Formats: sequence, structure tokens, C-alpha cells
Amino acid sequence: MSNLRVGMSTAAALAAGAAVALLVSSGTVLSLLTQAVIYAVFATGIALLLRQNGMVSFGHALFFGVSGYAVGIVLQLKLMPAELAVLVTLAGIALAAFAVGLVIVRVPGVAFSMLTLAIGQMFFLTASRSRGLTGGADGMNIDWPATLFGVPQSLLARPAVMFMVCWSVLVLVMLLLVLVLRGRFGAITEAVRDNEERARFIGIRTLMPRAAVYALSATVAGVGGLLSALNTGFVSPEILHWSVSGVGLMMVVVGGYKALWGPPLGAIVYFLARDVLGDYANHWMAIFGIALIAVIVFSPTGIAGALQRLFKGRKTVLAAGAVAARH
Amino acid sequence: MSDYVLQAQDVAIHYGGVKAVDGVSLTLERGQIHGLIGPNGAGKSTVIDAITGRTRLTRGKVMLGGEDVSELGTTERRMRGLSRSFQRTSIFGQMAVRKQVELASHKMGVKDSDADADAVLKELGLTPLADVTAEDLGYGEQRRLDLALALVGRPSVLLLDEPMAGLSVKESLDLAKHLKALTSRWDVSVLLVEHDMDVVFGISDVVTVFELGRVIANGAPAAVRADPRVREAYLGSAA
Repeated sequence: MSNLRVGMSTAAALAAGAAVALLVSSGTVLSLLTQAVIYAVFATGIALLLRQNGMVSFGHALFFGVSGYAVGIVLQLKLMPAELAVLVTLAGIALAAFAVGLVIVRVPGVAFSMLTLAIGQMFFLTASRSRGLTGGADGMNIDWPATLFGVPQSLLARPAVMFMVCWSVLVLVMLLLVLVLRGRFGAITEAVRDNEERARFIGIRTLMPRAAVYALSATVAGVGGLLSALNTGFVSPEILHWSVSGVGLMMVVVGGYKALWGPPLGAIVYFLARDVLGDYANHWMAIFGIALIAVIVFSPTGIAGALQRLFKGRKTVLAAGAVAARH
Repeated sequence: MSDYVLQAQDVAIHYGGVKAVDGVSLTLERGQIHGLIGPNGAGKSTVIDAITGRTRLTRGKVMLGGEDVSELGTTERRMRGLSRSFQRTSIFGQMAVRKQVELASHKMGVKDSDADADAVLKELGLTPLADVTAEDLGYGEQRRLDLALALVGRPSVLLLDEPMAGLSVKESLDLAKHLKALTSRWDVSVLLVEHDMDVVFGISDVVTVFELGRVIANGAPAAVRADPRVREAYLGSAA
């Protein structure tokens, strides 16, 4: 993708977000969309691991939840300004995930998924029971300061502003991933994912790239968690539970992980389905489950994959038509 | 000082009580093609795995250009010029042809990796397929790409494990011709494991015959072909 195309796509995405923030007047709808965008960032983190390492994590809720806890505890103890706390939390997640990644990415397949599940559940139980530090099962409020990165809390309390902040962060995350993955790092991680043995035989030391992808995907999930903490001002152990990782994975499967924009699409579809189907059925998840099965069977590359095939097919037909017209 | 680019000295690979390879010594001279033949399970591929560091030695030594590389990992040996292809095509399926060859070249530390990749693609006739995703190539083209990945960075030794497997007769002959030309044009020495006897005896300078993890014959192709033990163990009396 050329720089011009990346720049234009970014500008278009930001403009689309601004249009939604301006045109949607319902606070409830904006709130729903904000949640979808937060989970879109989270799902992008999960999908990154799958896309670049070919690995499925059942434990990314750990990074989604722990970022909120980390900032909450730091602010409660008044250790540093909130802005610094946000940056230190993300750096801490990246470093910790890289260190853990150096060990667990060596483990292939389902065993890796089970390890992520075990680590995640360990933190879920710790947060649930450390009442003095985390508030235990009741959770904890986060004492965000009156202004954050120069934006007053009173402004952030407006649904349209919060939506725009979350949307901008999502676009920024996507932009950074596009820039990182289209370069040498992206090619190396794809090579390791496709054929680790051959990668070693072309001079690639395969452990570091895999651990780096794990750290990057954890950090992206952590960004989602910070947005969630900012949106609700609250964090509780439920956010660390494996089922949250499961929901993120569902979004990835529905949206498709091969295109970077697949997981955000999956998150939006999930939240819209939850809202719309929830009005008609208590057990809306059963209907969503059937839809999930349909996607897996008919389009394993998700909705994004299906749309890509559709547009590719149309382009081919149009090109063939143009050639035929010339003759 | 010998002109050996590769020496395997008294190499043994044992799996518990099973002696997959036992006391094998091989030498490869500069610019030579050295064919390894033998029945399935004779230990040919295991020897290649041992030389490249894919399998740990139970006993013995591997010398590359006079340096003992027995304790080095696969990547380190590759960086020193010891390259290989695999019995089953080993490429990066979801990556475009040129992208993966250029990546390999870059990782091998070649300064102008673009030029090196272009040269390798041209050598193996892959230039017109540069932008095609590897999994969309035909089988013969994938085998050539496998060889291209092994050739980047100008290795001094190339270990090829059944490179003709699954190819048509014409494709096999083309590849054999290519290999012969490569040894002089690219200054590379080749250790070739192959079941196509016409190819092995046609292009090898030396042939070694394996049976049950041991060498039973070694020498010039004509002498090996005439060896009664080889005829009995592998080639059959009609050979």
C-alpha cells in the first residue's frame, strides 16, 4: 500500500468517525458504538497474533483488563501523573508480554492457547481476591484527573467526544500496524508463521519475531483496555475473565483476521447484533452462535474475506468487460 | 591443505537402540556434485539433517570449509554458507515469489538484496512469476522456488534432498542441467540425495551408496554402478 493511499485511507476513516459523531444524536447509540470501537481495538490485538504468528490466544483479556487495573492502582497511589501512567502501563505490558512471549511462543498449537488461558485465569483470580489492592470482586473506580492529555473530563463525558477519541485511537492503531507490517518486520513474521523451519534456513532467528508479535498484540489489547477504563471509569475482574477473550475471538472470526479491518468490522457486527437481537430474544447469543457457524462454514476468512472476494470478482468482471469492449 | 568444502567425519545418529546412521564419512570437493543413493530408510536424508544441524549428532564431526560446525545451530550453519532444500517443498506459501527470495537474501546479509534476488530468480527461470503468491504456483515451479531460497546469499555448499521428486521427466532433466551449470556459474558444491538414477549417475562426480545407515560403496559413478554389492543392494542385477 503506497504512502498516499495509507494517508488518504486514514483521513477518510477519521472523517467518517467525525461524521458519525456529528450526525448521530442519540447518546445511547453513540455509547454502543463507543463500546464497539473499544472492543474493535481489543479484537485487533487478538487478530494480530493470529495473523502474524498463526496463534490463538484465549488469554488476551488479561492485557485488556490489566491495563485498566494498572492505571487505576497507580492513580490511586498517586505515583505519577495520569498521562505518564498511561504510557508506563503500555510500556510495562509490552515488556512483560515480550518476556512471557519468549517462553510461551515456543509452545505450538492448542498447548499455546491453553497456556494463555491459564495465565489469564491466574490474573482473574488474583484480581478477584486481592481486595485491598483491586477492590476484589467489586472492582475499583479509576480516579482520572480533571484533564487528560489536555482534554477536560467534562468534555470526555459527552458521548460524541468519547466516541471520537476511541475512534481516533482505533484509526491510529490501524495506521501504526499498517506501517509496521508492510515493512521488513511484517515479512519476517509472515515467513516464520508460514514455515518456521525454512525461515531458520534463510537466516531468520525465529523466536524474537514471534515474541515481538505477542508483545505488540498484547499492547494493542492493552490500549483497548485503557479506552474501556476511560469510558467507564471503572474496572472489575469480569474484564479479565477468559470469556472476554472468547468474545474477542468471536469478533475476529466473524470479521476475519486476514484483513486488518476485519476484526473492527467483527466488533461492530457483534455489538449491533447484540443490540438488535437482544430486543427480540433473551438468548441472543444462540442466534449469534448460529451466525458464527455460518461464517466459519461459508467464509472461513470472515466477512472481510467475503467482501474482498466480492470486490475482486467485480473488478475482474469489469476488467474483462473493458477488454471485450475494446475488441 | 585439502580442497574439501565439506567433510562429515564418522557421523552417527542413534535413536535409542536404532542406528539410523552409523560411522558415515563423506567429503565434498569444491565445485563437485556428490550423489547419495540408497534404498528408502538407508539414512541419506538423516545424514543431510545431521550435516545441516537439524538432527543432533550422536557421534562424529561436521567440518565446513575447515571449520568445525558440529555444535552450531541450523541458522548459524546457513549463515556460514551451508544451505539445503527439503524432501517436501519448503517455501512460504502465502508470500509472493520475489518477496520471499528478497527477504531470504536480506536475512543472509547480502548488501544489495534486490539485485541478488533478481539474479536468483533469473537463474531459475522464476522472473515472470515474481509477483505470484507461492501457493498459486505449479508443483514444478514451487520446487524451483525451494531451490531459489536455498541459493540466495551464494552458499558454498548446497544439500539437496530429492529435488526431482514429483517432477516430470522433462522438468527433472532441466533441473539436472541447471544443477550442473550452477556448480561452475555460482561456485557451489552440491550434495545430492536422489532416487532418479539417470540424473544421479548423469551429473555426479562422485556417488556414495548407503544401506542400513552405512556406506557400502563410494567412488566414480561408473565404478559404483559396476560394483556387485551396489547392484545387489540397490540397483538390481539389470542395472
